[in-house]
Amino acid sequence: MVGAERPVTVAIVEDHPVVVDGVTTWIGADPERRAVVVGSGDDVDVVLAGPGGEADVLLLDLQLGDTVVVDRVAQLCTEGRRVVVYSALDDPETILTVLEAGASAFLSKHEAGSHCVDTIVAVATDRPYVTPSVAGALLAEAPHLSVQERTALLLWFQSMSKASVARRMGLSEATVRQYIDRARVKYAKLGRPAPTKTALLARAIEDGLIRADEIREYRSHAAGDQ
Amino acid sequence: MVKADPSVLVAERYARGATVAAVVIAGFWHLGYDLVATVTNWGVYSRAWAAAAGWVLYLGVGGVASVLLLRGGSRAYAWVLGLGALGVDVLLLVAAPGAVVLPANWAWGSVGWVAVIAFWRHRAAHLVAFVVADTAILVAGMVVLDVGSSEQVSRAIMVLLGAFTLQLGYSLGAHGLHAAAQWAARSSAARTAATANRAAAEAVAADRAVRYQELHRVTATLLAELAAGADPSDPAIRRRAAVGAARLRRLMAETDDVPDSLLHELRAGADVAERRGVQVSLSVVGTVPELPVDLRRALTEAPIVGLSAARSLARVTVVASTQEVTVAVVADAPDLHPTTPTGVTLDHDHDGTELWLQTKWTNNNQPAPATGGGHG
Repeated sequence: MVGAERPVTVAIVEDHPVVVDGVTTWIGADPERRAVVVGSGDDVDVVLAGPGGEADVLLLDLQLGDTVVVDRVAQLCTEGRRVVVYSALDDPETILTVLEAGASAFLSKHEAGSHCVDTIVAVATDRPYVTPSVAGALLAEAPHLSVQERTALLLWFQSMSKASVARRMGLSEATVRQYIDRARVKYAKLGRPAPTKTALLARAIEDGLIRADEIREYRSHAAGDQ
Repeated sequence: MVKADPSVLVAERYARGATVAAVVIAGFWHLGYDLVATVTNWGVYSRAWAAAAGWVLYLGVGGVASVLLLRGGSRAYAWVLGLGALGVDVLLLVAAPGAVVLPANWAWGSVGWVAVIAFWRHRAAHLVAFVVADTAILVAGMVVLDVGSSEQVSRAIMVLLGAFTLQLGYSLGAHGLHAAAQWAARSSAARTAATANRAAAEAVAADRAVRYQELHRVTATLLAELAAGADPSDPAIRRRAAVGAARLRRLMAETDDVPDSLLHELRAGADVAERRGVQVSLSVVGTVPELPVDLRRALTEAPIVGLSAARSLARVTVVASTQEVTVAVVADAPDLHPTTPTGVTLDHDHDGTELWLQTKWTNNNQPAPATGGGHG
């Protein structure tokens, strides 16, 4: 578990060095220095064999050279790694596939600059972080959303700032974030269990974002994992 | 059932008329001429039974040939019927050996009419062959019975020529008429198709012209203002020019034949903004249902206005299902208040730097309740 005293460690798997440099620059530019890059490369196994193997968060590009590594996501998450998928392939189907496989968050390349560090920090503490592209995907798929949750997701997908979404909905910004995060947590209980999903749900209950009895399936997953 | 080509139908009607006429001619000939000749010359026949049998055989052969032709029966019996008709020649020859080329022997000229019917659906060569056989029997009869005076020969020639000219002429003429009818019907059908195509093209062009006129009015006003000295660096003028360009581009996109028309038209609007240096992202969730062009224009109008006003960044989103389609644009743009087009609801917000415009169409045609009202 990451403490407040040290920055979050990040490993980047990405085949374009210029993108690695860009992401490293964003992370370095964070005024609070909340994260630090400890390893990078264009091969998952090579990065994990080095100092990147101990990183809190793995930032994974889905397209490495000519191959799309969607299949690796499930394996990495089963090993307990917190994976943030980072890709230009931001159609709802791809996003839901990697979330279902256990990825903690998804960053579309067009939105990465403004959400990158926040996503990494949230994921390191097993908290949900919903980027606008994920909000769109959840709109298409997430089950049992309330009207408020759906509206918040829609406005967030349209990329208003959370402050603007809050003003439109006549709510506080914190409440809007809660609606959006709840939608994400509701989706986490779907599909095959993964340690990352269990951690996300456990943290959501701990934070009071969702009650345990709202996610019955969660209990059975947790029981299975223990 | 496959819809028949109208040219085929017309040609078939012509063909039917000609065959019915052939049957009627043969029928009248047999009743009006053959029967009268048989009865008035009854005393001339040395074997009257053969004359009667010939008349009945002609009737039988002609009847079968007519039924086969009019009912569309088999063509295979044509020569069986032809031989039956030649049998009438032989019977009449037997009936009155002394009157080979006299009116009592009516067979030579009459059997050709049965042959016209029997060989209707065969090439003309068959009918000619029959005529030759008919002639051969007459010549053979004249030789055997030693009927060879110049008067009788010329009488035989007259009978045969008169009959054959009519019969071959009718058969060839009718078939030629059939071909001409087919040709006329085909060209008429082609003309009808061309007229329909032109009408459709004109309707499309007229609709486009109306829309072009609308755009023209707006654009002309703007150009007139510029000509009169309006400042092109005025942001309001620039925005109106950008909107005009985006609408023109959409007008062109509307006529493209693409599977996802709404997205295609939005992309056209985004394209124009990108050329001004605006960074545009377009995200879509769900499948957009087929919508008529009026509705698509209503849905895209406000987002295009928003895109055109963007200074450097714009995000266009579409969330679609069969029940509802939402199109939104968020852009760093000044506050704008586009008019609400019919058929959709429009929501608007501006937080000082960011403009948000959202159009929504709901399938049940019930106007959705206003969700907040924005600044408008």
